[in-house]
Amino acid sequence: MNLRRKKEKRPKGGLTIAKGRFVLGITIPLLIYESLGLFVIGWALVLMFFNYSSGRLGGPILGLGGTNPFVGIDNFIEMFSGTSVEANLFRISLKNTLIFAFAVLPLNLMITLPIAYLLESIGERFKAFYRTIYFLPVLTSSVGVALIWLSMYDPQAGWINAIIRLFGGTPVSWLSDPRAGFAGVSVAMWAVILAYLWQDYGYNMVIFIAALQGVPQELKDTAMIDGANRWQTFIKITVPLIRPTMLFVCVMTMLSSFQVFDIIQVMTNGAPGNQTQVLMLDIYKNAFRYQRLGWAAAESFILFLLVMGVTIIQMRMLRTEWEY
Amino acid sequence: MTTQAVSTNTLTRRAKFKRGSFFESRFFFYLALTLGLIFTLLPFLMMIFSSLKTNTEVLRVPPTFLPDNPTFSNYLTIFNDPRLPLLRFYANSAFVAVFNVTATLFTSALIGYMFAKFEFPGKRILFGWFLTLMMIPSHITMIPSYLILAKLGLINSLWGLVIFSAVDAFGIFMLRQFCETLPNELLDAARIDGASEWQIFIRIVVPQLSAPLATLGILGFMGNWNAYLWPMIVLQKVEVRTLPIILTWYNSTHTGQGALVMAATVLITMPILLVLVYFQRWIVKGFVTTGLK
Repeated sequence: MNLRRKKEKRPKGGLTIAKGRFVLGITIPLLIYESLGLFVIGWALVLMFFNYSSGRLGGPILGLGGTNPFVGIDNFIEMFSGTSVEANLFRISLKNTLIFAFAVLPLNLMITLPIAYLLESIGERFKAFYRTIYFLPVLTSSVGVALIWLSMYDPQAGWINAIIRLFGGTPVSWLSDPRAGFAGVSVAMWAVILAYLWQDYGYNMVIFIAALQGVPQELKDTAMIDGANRWQTFIKITVPLIRPTMLFVCVMTMLSSFQVFDIIQVMTNGAPGNQTQVLMLDIYKNAFRYQRLGWAAAESFILFLLVMGVTIIQMRMLRTEWEY
Repeated sequence: MTTQAVSTNTLTRRAKFKRGSFFESRFFFYLALTLGLIFTLLPFLMMIFSSLKTNTEVLRVPPTFLPDNPTFSNYLTIFNDPRLPLLRFYANSAFVAVFNVTATLFTSALIGYMFAKFEFPGKRILFGWFLTLMMIPSHITMIPSYLILAKLGLINSLWGLVIFSAVDAFGIFMLRQFCETLPNELLDAARIDGASEWQIFIRIVVPQLSAPLATLGILGFMGNWNAYLWPMIVLQKVEVRTLPIILTWYNSTHTGQGALVMAATVLITMPILLVLVYFQRWIVKGFVTTGLK
């Protein structure tokens, strides 16, 4: 009986059933995966209100409660007004992260945008060659980059100090002298910033190259005919036209420098005297070395707020319409 | 048409280079680019040259540029070091990268296709949920993920690196956009010919997605191969580690032996760098179209 009815409806019903099965076969595992994702995020949000250590057994549900007591917003109060060692270290890390990001951003733009423009102005064959070389550090593993620069900065046998000596300067203990500084920022911080810039400029460079290729040639030609020189045309015509890309690049650079970890962990691990201790490093050490997972979760949330803040500003600014 | 446009461009370019000050000259452009080139290459040269020096030469002050007597002894030391079975660590990295890339490509194509071409109740909620998950940075989920792996007993297992990475929200988002451009007539024609939904997906949809899949694949491979923080958290025993973690471990156990460490760096970073340079065009395209890093 049932079978026959199915047969009669075959053309349409069979298809819908087949489609339904296909969708169901995908959505059910997907739903499980998404629920797991939600659970993980929920757990992260709960952890920051506990004094949680993975070394303690704790209460029955996820080890919360019991020897891992609920402390409310104490973690956050401690972070911003506490006097404990870890609160101090958090504030140092936050400051260092901001210094790092606000130094990297302008320096990166000052390097990548001119390079992209220079590359766009030269002949095709050389362009590919130069671009490939400039792009090499982006493709290199960040651990490799960190070890190379660690060796470059060696106070005695490193090439950086060799170049300084060549020009008659005094060598610097780049990664170990806590007193040396430049423009209010320690040399160790400048050293990791330089290594980070070296690894990263190829990325923004290719983004800018793509944007520059989208600028209509006629506009540039018009400016030239009106008597502007190359660099005037670049600054007055090209740069305003690629503003959306610049904004995008600023935000991406900011976000990744807020979350910098690999290079600093390998090169200095926060030394000398916590001068290069950044937030991700502090989170990592607290969570996986000192077993202070609740505290680390609270720190992660502050970093998350920083990241979200930048993203929201970006969305606001992108809402402005650009046209040319 | 095109030829004409190109030749006009070259003409204006030539004209532009002819007049103007030093800073607008072709000479200045190449000079600036070449200085940048030297700065970019110098650290690579330092690594390669140092790896060919002896440990005493590498400590000399002032340092030598080229090795006095180039030697491969550092490389031989590493190849003969029973505590550093490089092939094993290459296999670990390859397992994680290949498994993760294959899994994410499959799930991204499948789920992206479903979101693009099928209507079902709750679709918008499911997709919005995804977008939210996508916006959460990984440092937030790192701690609970570690606790879950610890509960499952997957710390120190390569599978621990794999199970959370089989689905990639960004890949789904990107492939959904590509799937939306596929003509419905094509899919319906296959249905009329009696193909099952899975056959349609494998035989018709996937081949159409080859370009975005290649882009996602190479970016994913690069990200997995170079990943450092998460593998370091999960893989605490030496034997199971992936290449970047083994490299820092080697560095910390060989302090004061700069030449040896640089040789290890060459052996671990250079082979994959050459592969990635070969696929550079795809990577650049991926960066530009996705904005991913």
